Amino acid sequence: MGVGVYFCTCGGVISQQVDAQSACASIMEIPGVSYVETIEFMCAEEGKDALEQDLRRKKPKQVVIAACSPREHENTFRRVLARGEVNPYCMQMANIREHVAWVTTDPRQALTKAVSVIRGALGRVRRHESLVPESLDVCSDVLVIGAGPAGLKAALGLAKGGRKVTLVEKGPVIGGMPVRMESVFPGMECGSCMVEPLLDDILQGQHAPSITLLTLAEVVDVAGYFGNFLVKIERKPRYVSKGCIGCGECVPVCGVSEKNPFNCGMNQRQAIDFPFAGALPNLPFLNMELCVRSRGEDCKKCQQACPVENAIDFFDRGETLEVKVGAIVLAIGSRLEDCSIFPNLGYGKVEDVFTSFEFERMLAHNGPLGGELGSVTPGGRPLQTIALIHCVGSMDSRYRDYCSETCCQNAFKFNHEIHKLLPEAQVVHLYRELVAPGKGGYPLIRQGMQSPHTHAIRYSNQDDIQVTRAAERLDVRLSGDVVATADMVVLCPATIPSVDHRQLGGMMDVVCDRNGFFAELHNRTDAVQSRIRGIYLAGSCQSPMDLKQSMGQGMAVSGHVLAELVAGGMIEIEPITASVDDQRCSACGTCLPVCPFKAIHRQEDGKAWINRVLCVGCGTCVAACPGGVIKGNHFTNTAIMAEIEGVLA
Amino acid sequence: METKPKLAMYWAASCGGCEIALVNIHEKIFDVMDSFDFMFCPCLMDTKYHDIEALADGSIAITFFNGALRTDENIHMARLLRQKSQLLIAFGSCAAEGCIPGLGNLSSRQDLMDRIYRDSLTLDDHQGPLPATSTGVVEGNLTLPEFLPVVKTLGQVVAVDYSIPGCPPESHQVWNCVNAVIQGHPLGAKGAILGGGRSTVCAECVRTRTEKKIRTLYRTYEILPDAETCLLEQGLLCMGVVTRDGCGGLCPRVNMPCTGCYGPPEGVLDQGAKMISALGSMLDLEDAGEVNVDDYARRMDVLLEGIPDLAGTLYKYSLAGSILGGKRTP
Ligand SMILES: Cc1cc2nc3c(=O)[nH]c(=O)nc-3n(C[C@H](O)[C@H](O)[C@H](O)COP(=O)(O)OP(=O)(O)OC[C@H]3O[C@@H](n4cnc5c(N)ncnc54)[C@H](O)[C@@H]3O)c2cc1C
Ligand code: SF4
Ligand code: SF4
Repeated sequence: MGVGVYFCTCGGVISQQVDAQSACASIMEIPGVSYVETIEFMCAEEGKDALEQDLRRKKPKQVVIAACSPREHENTFRRVLARGEVNPYCMQMANIREHVAWVTTDPRQALTKAVSVIRGALGRVRRHESLVPESLDVCSDVLVIGAGPAGLKAALGLAKGGRKVTLVEKGPVIGGMPVRMESVFPGMECGSCMVEPLLDDILQGQHAPSITLLTLAEVVDVAGYFGNFLVKIERKPRYVSKGCIGCGECVPVCGVSEKNPFNCGMNQRQAIDFPFAGALPNLPFLNMELCVRSRGEDCKKCQQACPVENAIDFFDRGETLEVKVGAIVLAIGSRLEDCSIFPNLGYGKVEDVFTSFEFERMLAHNGPLGGELGSVTPGGRPLQTIALIHCVGSMDSRYRDYCSETCCQNAFKFNHEIHKLLPEAQVVHLYRELVAPGKGGYPLIRQGMQSPHTHAIRYSNQDDIQVTRAAERLDVRLSGDVVATADMVVLCPATIPSVDHRQLGGMMDVVCDRNGFFAELHNRTDAVQSRIRGIYLAGSCQSPMDLKQSMGQGMAVSGHVLAELVAGGMIEIEPITASVDDQRCSACGTCLPVCPFKAIHRQEDGKAWINRVLCVGCGTCVAACPGGVIKGNHFTNTAIMAEIEGVLA
Repeated sequence: METKPKLAMYWAASCGGCEIALVNIHEKIFDVMDSFDFMFCPCLMDTKYHDIEALADGSIAITFFNGALRTDENIHMARLLRQKSQLLIAFGSCAAEGCIPGLGNLSSRQDLMDRIYRDSLTLDDHQGPLPATSTGVVEGNLTLPEFLPVVKTLGQVVAVDYSIPGCPPESHQVWNCVNAVIQGHPLGAKGAILGGGRSTVCAECVRTRTEKKIRTLYRTYEILPDAETCLLEQGLLCMGVVTRDGCGGLCPRVNMPCTGCYGPPEGVLDQGAKMISALGSMLDLEDAGEVNVDDYARRMDVLLEGIPDLAGTLYKYSLAGSILGGKRTP
């Protein structure tokens, strides 16, 4: 038996333009055709049943379905073919509806065109091979990297869905940015209070047993692929074990201290201390570099003060763990641009010039000032006017060619907080553009602007701004003219990729976009998937974004993983992938960098090998392979040429 | 007396290198003489066309046909030798793919004539007669074969049994083929390529490859390439990646980029087009992410300035036989 052709009239939509009888007669004359059948509405239930029955009876080797667009019904008919015991890939659709009936008015031309399209499909389908999807056992556990809002939401969602989660956090504290904020725009709730329930759920909620949290830990190696990743994690010593009850008795007895990095160096912390008040998990950590024991002294003050035996372990060496997971979630957040690269703005040189994050900490009740921003600056001068400079380094093609999305609202959050603490203070906003999307953004800005103590000045080029000290106050100049005399200047720097983006991305072949953030599979339709199957992105490591979006992405990722990586299940591997003819591959290496999904690997002898789990069959490497050695299954060159020849014959 | 099978070698539009490649099998030529009656080879002996015409059809066992088809005489001989031969083998790049003569397909007949007989700087008389199929002189009428509008490959005019690639084919490969016939080994399916590999020149090249990313393209006189690293990765347009292996990777061995004379590898329909698509993957235009399109095009132009003669470089040997075929000329 050769090729069976099924002609769908589409209830007249096709047959009114393309005369079915003449078409079928012409098709029968094409070599290789065994039979032609006409079906009224092939995609309707009766149509599908009729097709199935006919396939069972006639057992064609290949099938051409002359109907509508494969975009619409290729999968429908593939399923019917499977039911009719014909390999679903031994089918080709000839789109005689969209491509012919709908666009060709002259019936004679329509007939000729339809027959050409069908002839093409016939040429092609005769070169189709039977393909069978493969399936693979998977591990359904998940690794989440970064315990900020995005990573926490993802981890919790996954745990609720019954998954085992390893949550790796680089720092000693979880919660990411918001636990460091006094308030959160647009609603002005307390940041740490807002995320506290989430943190509690992670640490001791109903699903906490499914989550292994590793703080002071980093991923150092990733091998494998979707469903079967092998991950190496290095946990650095904390010197404080889980037995710790968080009483803090050890802190005051410690005799050495350093500038506290968790408060931007604005206060001190002891060698053993909490990162900041209320930080979770509620465990201090010991900075061994600072501890006098590292200098050979046998100090044990903290251990002696500790009411729990063995809670402090000076011999903690950390550990290297290996975990097997099926999917990885990247949620490492972002950081702020280093403001000292803009000398005109005075940061690092002029006293009382701060970054937004430093100011955030000054406002925070768990920050260095205990939330008491008084009427004097940290430099000790009267605080009457604060200038907030927006867009520092953002929307400037020399630095960051994008808007950082959160800084305008954040600056108006500051405006609100300042007026709450110092109702008479003057707040001057210097902005390039004002951005306040969403339902809460605009009311926040409008409210701020309505105050007689709020002033807004627009600038166009950041280089025109000059911040200098003039005796007791700060002069803020725009193109040489003093536009504000302030006591404190707060810079709102651009959100930029974290220090780990390149290295961590490189470890798992996740590429960064030209701004350095993790590149998504598609920036609208698939923003939480990376281009590597099984590696997902959540939160501000993908693009600057606010908390709502970050948490939303975390939840979206958990949904994705739960849907795609079924516990105890298998993953099905689409057979339309590319494959390398190992004997003929010359090891030239051309294909290696082109695969957008990083599915191609170099074998020991230099030859290419394609991981079918990762390959999506896009064909990029097939086109690139100069030796004609890579075959695109289901889209072979011979099939495509035969289709073209058929159409042109 | 037992008659030996007849062996012929003919040259159409060619340079004579293919005959030299055959003779370069050195003393093994005696084995050829032992096994065959080498009876026709205008380059080496004085058999006349009418001698061939007089033969019975199929009476030549093997004809090695080299040269592209440029004139009606070439076409006539292609048809004649097809008729008289059991096996007609396209010998060398000209017969198989058009080779250098095939580059004539980028110019019209008129342009070619003008270039040679009117505009050439070394001519004394820029107004002299142009070659014509028939020219009257006092002594009578002089005839010349007609110069056809396009160059064709042997396979585009008559059915070809096998092809041997190369400009010229490597002598050891010529011997492999001849010896296979002498030994009575099967030659493979009709239409097969003899005397070549199934991979590309890179498979025979010993240079190390790291990453195929080209930032600048150079012409051979512009740089002295490093002897260990892949030439393409050094910015020299090595056609090895899109060229059938079988030559032994001779050019890259002596620091010269492969120019592609063994033609496209198995499964590649158009050598030049394939190189363009491969280059598209290699030219380093930095992260394609969201680069401005104009910027992109500009950078691409700058890079491609490194290949001043695209057709002559990418289709040096394969133009006439390629999908492209040439340029449409008046
Ligand atoms: C000054 C400022 C104020 C803001 N105010 C608001 C606001 O009021 N309202 C609002 O909606 N949004 C606000 N935002 C935005 C908000 O902070 C972000 O949307 C949110 O924090 C992003 O969450 P995330 O989980 O992606 O990243 P983060 O909160 O940055 O968390 C990332 C976590 O990953 C960890 N990590 C980093 N690298 C690694 C690694 N290699 N391995 C393991 N772990 C790692 C970090 O330690 C951190 O715990 C503000 C942002 C800034 C900069
Ligand atoms: S077909 Fe696409 S996804 Fe598959 S290996 Fe080739 S380039 Fe990668
Ligand atoms: S030098 Fe030429 S032949 Fe050798 S590996 Fe590079 S591209 Fe291939």
